[in-house]
Amino acid sequence: MFKDVLVRFALGTARVYRHVSRSPWQQTPAASRVTVRSFTAVKDEVPPPFDSSLLEILVCPLSKKPLRYNPDTNELINEELGIAYPIIDGIPNMIPQDARLIGKDEPQTPAQ
Amino acid sequence: MAASVRTFVRSLSRKNAGFSAVLRLSDCRWFSGKAEERSTHFGFETVSETEKASKVYKVFENVAQKYDVMNDAMSLGIHRLWKDALLHVMHPQPGARLLDVAGGTGDIAFRFLEYVRSQQERQQRRAVLLGQTPSWQDVSDRYPDGGGAPESAVVVCDINKEMLKVGRQRADSRGVTTGLSWVVGDAEELPFNDDQFDLYTIAFGIRNVTHIDQALKEALRVLKPGGRFLCLEFSKVTNPVLERLYDVYSFQVIPVLGEVIAGDWKSYQYLVESIRKFPDQEEFKGLMEDSGFFCVQYFNLTGGVVALHSGFKL
Repeated sequence: MFKDVLVRFALGTARVYRHVSRSPWQQTPAASRVTVRSFTAVKDEVPPPFDSSLLEILVCPLSKKPLRYNPDTNELINEELGIAYPIIDGIPNMIPQDARLIGKDEPQTPAQ
Repeated sequence: MAASVRTFVRSLSRKNAGFSAVLRLSDCRWFSGKAEERSTHFGFETVSETEKASKVYKVFENVAQKYDVMNDAMSLGIHRLWKDALLHVMHPQPGARLLDVAGGTGDIAFRFLEYVRSQQERQQRRAVLLGQTPSWQDVSDRYPDGGGAPESAVVVCDINKEMLKVGRQRADSRGVTTGLSWVVGDAEELPFNDDQFDLYTIAFGIRNVTHIDQALKEALRVLKPGGRFLCLEFSKVTNPVLERLYDVYSFQVIPVLGEVIAGDWKSYQYLVESIRKFPDQEEFKGLMEDSGFFCVQYFNLTGGVVALHSGFKL
């Protein structure tokens, strides 16, 4: 594991991508801050299994309705209110002020 | 219903500055008092409620990296005993689900996981002693590899990303991976459904919350019926002699330590002032009972320096 760390430091992000192709998790370098997390083998992507277990418990703090995980933008979306909560470094940010308003451009099939 | 409307309105007013003027007027008409213009205390200062939240956020953002070191220095390591006492009173059993609010660097979460695992081992040893030797299959099933359904889990919720980041680093360095989740959330508006958790703890966090009663109501909401609420917080010292010593220590020594170790006098000044502004043991017990907790009791630790409040949702 530490060899990976040293290699990572030495070779920078290029190595990260190459490493990712071997790992089962997808890399979404949305806000990749490579600094502090280098002591784990897994970088700042959100491993889907982890997120789905949290998804069962998490709801929108405003409406208390369940959220939809969007893996492309790495956000948790409340369609009803049209807001998306970002997931940074694998930690979902459920503060309403930090949520992004999404326009009603794609007409989704109503969840209810 | 009213609560959700209120929070929805609050959210809209927060998001759109121009809108907020209109909404604040309507806020006045619907609810008693103008939420954003009410003042509260930030240590010994008086600030508006919105200002308090952002000021508190900045305090913890500044201290996050040195938080654990400072805790050890300020309390001379006694904070570890307080947190151990919390776990002892909590006495969680395997399969319990804990929500640790304002749990930033994860002290309570780590202790919980250790405690539960040792409880599990204890149960297994007892089963062996009683001759109920489990087969290897049973033993391996009971081990939390990849998580079975009745698995003890802790969700650490904190409003401050920096504190959670430090917490996650500590988890990584301790090799704790399963049973632990991190969420950025507001104690007054928890992003969890009703009746989710067996245990709710808030250790040294509730005095930083702007609306304590709101946080208590949210705690009641997310707890399962029969769930327990536990709160560790600095409180009023009972012995007058100790109180004088404690005051001198708080105001003369702690900010200096803050400046020397963390390079931040003001944050630690805020910390000790906020302790003085927090309601005392009986008052907080009253607040809990008003919010709907039953069997509320408190234990004074270290002569009242810290109080451990416990209540149940029944």
